Amino acid sequence: MSSEERLEKFRPGRDGHEARKALRVPPPRGSVFDLFKEALPDVPMEAYQAVKDVVIEVSRGDVIRVLRTAKEDPRLDFRWLRCLSGVDYMDKGLEVVYHLHSYTRNHDVTVKVRCPQGDPRVPSATAVWRGADWYEREAAEMFGLVFEGHPNLVPLLLPEDMTDHHPLRKDNPLAEIEEWQGDRLAGRAEEGAGGEEEG
Amino acid sequence: MAVEHDLETMEIPVNMGPQHPSTHGVFRMVLKVDGERVVELVPHIGYLHRGAEKLCENMDYRQGIGIHDRTEYLAPFHAELALVIAVEKLMGLEVPERAEQIRIIMAELNRITSHMMFVGAFSADAGVFGTAFTYAFREREYIQDIFEEVTGDRTMYGYFRPGGLAWDVPDDFVERVRAVLEHTRQGIDDIDNLLTKNEVFMARTRGIGAMSAEEAIDWGLSGPMLRACGVRHDLRKAQPYCIYDRFDFDVPVGQYGDVYDRYLVRLEEMRQSVRIVEQALEGLRDGPIMPKKMRRRLRTPPGEIYQGVEAPRGEYGVYIVSDGTDKPYRMKIRSACFANLMGLRDMVVGHFVADAVVILGSIDMVLGEVDR
Repeated sequence: MSSEERLEKFRPGRDGHEARKALRVPPPRGSVFDLFKEALPDVPMEAYQAVKDVVIEVSRGDVIRVLRTAKEDPRLDFRWLRCLSGVDYMDKGLEVVYHLHSYTRNHDVTVKVRCPQGDPRVPSATAVWRGADWYEREAAEMFGLVFEGHPNLVPLLLPEDMTDHHPLRKDNPLAEIEEWQGDRLAGRAEEGAGGEEEG
Repeated sequence: MAVEHDLETMEIPVNMGPQHPSTHGVFRMVLKVDGERVVELVPHIGYLHRGAEKLCENMDYRQGIGIHDRTEYLAPFHAELALVIAVEKLMGLEVPERAEQIRIIMAELNRITSHMMFVGAFSADAGVFGTAFTYAFREREYIQDIFEEVTGDRTMYGYFRPGGLAWDVPDDFVERVRAVLEHTRQGIDDIDNLLTKNEVFMARTRGIGAMSAEEAIDWGLSGPMLRACGVRHDLRKAQPYCIYDRFDFDVPVGQYGDVYDRYLVRLEEMRQSVRIVEQALEGLRDGPIMPKKMRRRLRTPPGEIYQGVEAPRGEYGVYIVSDGTDKPYRMKIRSACFANLMGLRDMVVGHFVADAVVILGSIDMVLGEVDR
């Protein structure tokens, strides 16, 4: 699908998440998802092809098993936890995204696990990769996620006493003046929207 | 009067930083020492946290380029590159050939300046103060003059754009870069002669802070830190972005994973960068630097992408979740030093306090990137 087609399908005003769901393309044959299905036949997984990587969604109960298999199964061999990020989807819950890479097979995969806002508990991946340590501490302070089993879940980048709000959540906007400036900029962009010009 | 007899051996906590000359920024670590040996180390980061991710989520993609410059401030071209490639892939933009070549020239020159900064600061950490530092900074200065001529700024370039470049390079660009490369090659040899076999330098760096390949992978290290452990992984080779697959260069790896190997890997990488720049200059042809039609307002289709680039310190990655507007819904910056610093405790514990400074220097961290 070209970018125009994808943009065409997405109408502002429609629910963004519904639109995204409609765009989900199943992963192609022979992709890394087939290997996951082989290695974990009894785990329910939902997969789709993103722009670059295959994305696999799993439930909270299975995530550690999936990650451990991804790391230890020789067919998958995802030994490098490249990146771990939190994403806030507001009423659709919080998401933890694991980007994995394999040195030997040279393939990538994205694993996602979602939890509701009211119950942001996710098992910690530090038992699988020690390198998940700081990433999880950062996601915890920025999104209010609780990584169960993490050895030292204290704030990393933020002050120790800043536990009452989580800056990267969408219900935590920037300061008023920046909001106001942003609105002005957006308004100006709206006036000139749709115009095409060179450069 | 009796002499005091109740002196006892104890482990003493020592605070280093945030204001400390050897921390290359505002970084604090608390060491627990038993005599001269370090028995425990707790790093504290976050002093430079400016909320770059949140700011990017409230700006459009082009404005975000400026924020990315200010995270990885010793290699801003690489930070910009990660962002613009991610946006291009989301939108399906084609980048003109000339823009790709210039991007590679800029990125590789930037790798040299960044490694020069490392060599200068690191040699000072390791006790060879002065000469190597000034030599490295002289070379850095020549290349930065080119950057200034091209972009108009010495450190915060803001030169790459989704789709290509902000403007074309000056007319005498190729000759200027060729002349500077001659100098750089000599400069790298000078540093090689000054440091590589220097007795003080070797005594301070060999066998210090060694890490095995398994440990390094477990901690998620990348870049020269990982390659010094013997893992031949370079994103430019493994998953080529831009047009790196067309260039002929080697990926140097170390053997012992110690501080000395990290220095050697970086030294060789500078030579390889010179090779890449020469090839790119050969292939540089006239042509457009932006696609013909670009929207004034860059809107990306909904979707998500993770794009990493091989920055001088390791993998600098950008994870963008787009909801179809001109701003990213979520922008995560995967910084190289953030992961590299995580392994610091394992590298330092068991060594002398003085070695902790050298090991910290060998990570070549940029706190702006760690804290974002």
